[in-house]
Amino acid sequence: MSVTYIDAIREAQEKLLREDDRVFLYGQDIATFGGAFKATKGLAEQFPNRVFDAPISEDAMIGMAVGAAIEGMRPIVEMQFADFSSVAFNQIVNQAATHFYRTGMPIPITVRLPSGGTPGSGPFHSQSMEGIYAQYPGLVVLTPATVSDAYHMLLDGVALDDPVIYCEHKFLYRWLKAKSINGDHLPIGQARITRPGKHATVVAYSAMVHEAVRAADRLQQDGWEIEVVDLRSVKPLDMDTVLASVARTGRLLAVGEAFPWGGVTAEVIARVTEEGFHLLDAPPQRLNARDTPVPYHPKLWAAHRPTPESICEALRKLLSF
Amino acid sequence: MPQLGESIAEATVIRLGISVGDTVRTDQEIIEVETNKAVMGVTTLCDGVVSELRAQEGVSYSVGTLLGLLNVTDEEIARTGVESLEGIEAKRGSSQTNSPAQAEANLHFALDDDAYEEAPAVVPSVKGLPVPTGVLGAHYISPRMRARMDDLGIREADISAIVGTGAGGRVTVEDLERFLDYLDAWPSSPASPMRLAVADAMRRSWTRPLATVGLPVLLDRTLDHRRNHSPKPGLTLYLLRAFALALAENPTTAGYLIGDKVVHPRSFDIGVAVQVEDGVVVPVMRKVDQKSLSELVAEYDDLVDRARRRRLSEKDCSGGIATVTNFGTFGLTTGTPIPLPNETLILGIGAGVKKPVWSKQVEAFLPATEADLLLTFDHRVVDGGGAGVLLNRVSGFLQQPDKL
Amino acid sequence: MLRARILENKLSSLYKAGKIVGGVYLGRGQEAVSATLGTALIQGRDFFAPLIRDQAGRTAFGEPLIDCTRTYLGSVEGPMRGRDGNIHRGRPSMGMPAMISHLGAQVPVVAGMLFAKRLQGTLTGRVGATCIGDGATSTGAFHEGLNTAAVEKLPLVVVVANNQFAYSTPNDRQFACGDLVERARGYGIGGFSVDGTDLLACASVIGEAVRRARHGGGPQMVVAQLLRLSGHGEHDDGSYVPTDVREGYYGRDCIDVAIGQLVENQMATAAEISEWQDEIAEEVQRAVAQAQQEATPDPYLEDWTALSTRFPISQSTAQ
Repeated sequence: MSVTYIDAIREAQEKLLREDDRVFLYGQDIATFGGAFKATKGLAEQFPNRVFDAPISEDAMIGMAVGAAIEGMRPIVEMQFADFSSVAFNQIVNQAATHFYRTGMPIPITVRLPSGGTPGSGPFHSQSMEGIYAQYPGLVVLTPATVSDAYHMLLDGVALDDPVIYCEHKFLYRWLKAKSINGDHLPIGQARITRPGKHATVVAYSAMVHEAVRAADRLQQDGWEIEVVDLRSVKPLDMDTVLASVARTGRLLAVGEAFPWGGVTAEVIARVTEEGFHLLDAPPQRLNARDTPVPYHPKLWAAHRPTPESICEALRKLLSF
Repeated sequence: MPQLGESIAEATVIRLGISVGDTVRTDQEIIEVETNKAVMGVTTLCDGVVSELRAQEGVSYSVGTLLGLLNVTDEEIARTGVESLEGIEAKRGSSQTNSPAQAEANLHFALDDDAYEEAPAVVPSVKGLPVPTGVLGAHYISPRMRARMDDLGIREADISAIVGTGAGGRVTVEDLERFLDYLDAWPSSPASPMRLAVADAMRRSWTRPLATVGLPVLLDRTLDHRRNHSPKPGLTLYLLRAFALALAENPTTAGYLIGDKVVHPRSFDIGVAVQVEDGVVVPVMRKVDQKSLSELVAEYDDLVDRARRRRLSEKDCSGGIATVTNFGTFGLTTGTPIPLPNETLILGIGAGVKKPVWSKQVEAFLPATEADLLLTFDHRVVDGGGAGVLLNRVSGFLQQPDKL
Repeated sequence: MLRARILENKLSSLYKAGKIVGGVYLGRGQEAVSATLGTALIQGRDFFAPLIRDQAGRTAFGEPLIDCTRTYLGSVEGPMRGRDGNIHRGRPSMGMPAMISHLGAQVPVVAGMLFAKRLQGTLTGRVGATCIGDGATSTGAFHEGLNTAAVEKLPLVVVVANNQFAYSTPNDRQFACGDLVERARGYGIGGFSVDGTDLLACASVIGEAVRRARHGGGPQMVVAQLLRLSGHGEHDDGSYVPTDVREGYYGRDCIDVAIGQLVENQMATAAEISEWQDEIAEEVQRAVAQAQQEATPDPYLEDWTALSTRFPISQSTAQ
């Protein structure tokens, strides 16, 4: 028996609906249909009047969730694709994110963003929005990379009193499997050393963790030992773990699937340079998607985002400095 | 003048609806003003009597300017919660002493014009080109390596003995630690401050392309002159004087290259290397080209004496354009002296040696005292030709000691 | 209405005396609409999301005057503690969410509050209401929110105060339908029109809309015709309003109309109303004086965090 990443998300929602009557699910096509990716399959039957189809109104979906949270509920909103959350941007960053600071009342909503690219998805079904949301004060941004994290971090995220942007990677949905969902359970805000090493540190999150591990496997054949740090949450950002890793290796590559201008990788490098300049043996490097919309054709798509090959290339450059 | 709009900095008083002595009521519009957005009335917040009017019609006032004063009873202040002038000043005073940053941060609350002054333009404190990038290889020291070296008080020159195993032959922290472990087995002692100062100066100087040229010089005439002179100048002093005169004829030779510019000597002030315990110091003789040997003797003796007793001030050792070193006093006949980091030239002389020299006049070998004159120069500034001209002029002066 | 008008006149005066940081946005001319809505709602049971010109509705709903003066004057004792100002204040725990500047955004929020009550099984007899202006009806948020509320058949009342200008933009540059109330049919919700300068008409029409929503009639939209009797904010003199509009029918002051109605119907005498005005003026003065004397926020004591969660969460406290 094995559990996929999307199974873990479904099971976490099932557990939340079963154990916490403040929780309800809201999103497009998520009730009887079970969601575009089937992350809520069967939940509407299992929990009548707890799982609701929403009109194609992303702004109103988050507005509704904020209102429900004010009145004591813990809504989980599924955006059909992370890309469409741009329509709800105002409600997320201006309504939900400012609410606790302004009024003293936190807004415990969780927004699930099916993020990242899959072959053939094209410009509007492939985006990675974590960096944009992390830029705003008042949001927690989670980016699970493992089946176990997908499960536990959704439970932990819903338990937080603050608005949570939960970035689940579509490529991992069925591609990633685990024996069980009971892997190690770290608290939100703590990064994980996915693979120990001593020659260079790769900081990654979400699907890029797996690409980084594959790159590290290849470099191991040449005798390089690459440490891979999985951020798990990009906000809060666990700089303690990152800096400790760079202290061991002296070299840093930050890998993200989002667009290259600014974002999570830039933040990681800025902070390491600021707080750990004396730890560095080489200028920190970053690898992101290219500075174009995400292309449709699988050949272009594969060259648009970081891959094990491009991560290897970046690491070799870093190691030769 | 109240802040009548978010981007308003000033407003013009169109009409003063009151005069001194008038009684005003709470919320009465007393002054009509015009901003660049609209015309509006300025109100009072309490009942009172106008005691002073500072504003004039037709004049523009910046936000926060005091337009006038009201006499208000204590009961009215209590009823309306308005602030008195004393209260405002007290608050401003206390905010300045307690938290000036807070007062500045609340620009909207600021009541005086000064708070709106623009900050002066910032002048960059660092001049020059950016640090070159893409530096590879053994000379590159990473921030991590630099931090470890600073920890240990180790300089770049210290790691020259280490074979690097890093990328491009770079010395890594691990290489350094291994080397230090290896050295732990050897006897060692702490270096004196004097030793460290000399080491630092030589290390800095050695970053330049230095070249040395030599010329044998006959010293008999100089030594004869010295024997008959009182007080007796040292041989080094003859050399100093000859060097200064030669440089005065060719001042560009002592120029100092910085960037795309050669800095020329202002005054022919020449240093003299004096060996002291565990190091070398270089006091500087002033205007050597303009003083006779006799005048220089006392100055020279005083400087050398104070140098040996370690009584030189920083001023005694600064401002030189070149240095003379007489390593002949140690019995050495030749060498390649290194100029100070801020000088282009150093002139050295070895020990005099008796040699048979062919005399055209008597057509026979005659005994003569000969020494090697050695000039080390920064090859970026001076070439072999220029150095040769200079050495020949020094040699020439030493053959005519009367002129020195 | 009177309380709001007198309070807002005081705010205007404070602004012109330089005592208020940021803008002042008044509801002059909209008091009849706003007050009748606030009166029709029951604090503790209903929800009310006021917009920028709803001082009258806030007061009628039960917001104490001191909340207003404290927020405008930056008192640390106010509901926003200096972190947000003026009309952005709210007390969400008491059924009055704090508006954001993005128009139309409160429509789905009130809908969500009602939705929560349905899930909790306590929706019966409750109403949620929000006010917006003619300009906000052009936003996507307004459309999305109203459509969603209609789909969910929530007891939401949206009162559109058509004051004819969105800041300076007149109706004919804002929408092309003849009357905004025509949109109600498109959403499948109840629609009402009312003369927003007529207190008794407002009480009747808005009261009826609230009653219908409360008794299972689904969302209701009321479009009130009126004219803003001040600028968009106090920094604006509203000079773009043409004289004929200013002096036209809707240029009449709803307060004058209301006083006339009260006297005519023998609901109050002119002397009584004058007495109310004096009492309210005293009350307003006290609220201003108290807020003026209170401390303003201290940047050195501010905790500068936008999250209620304190990270890192230790492993032992995480579940």
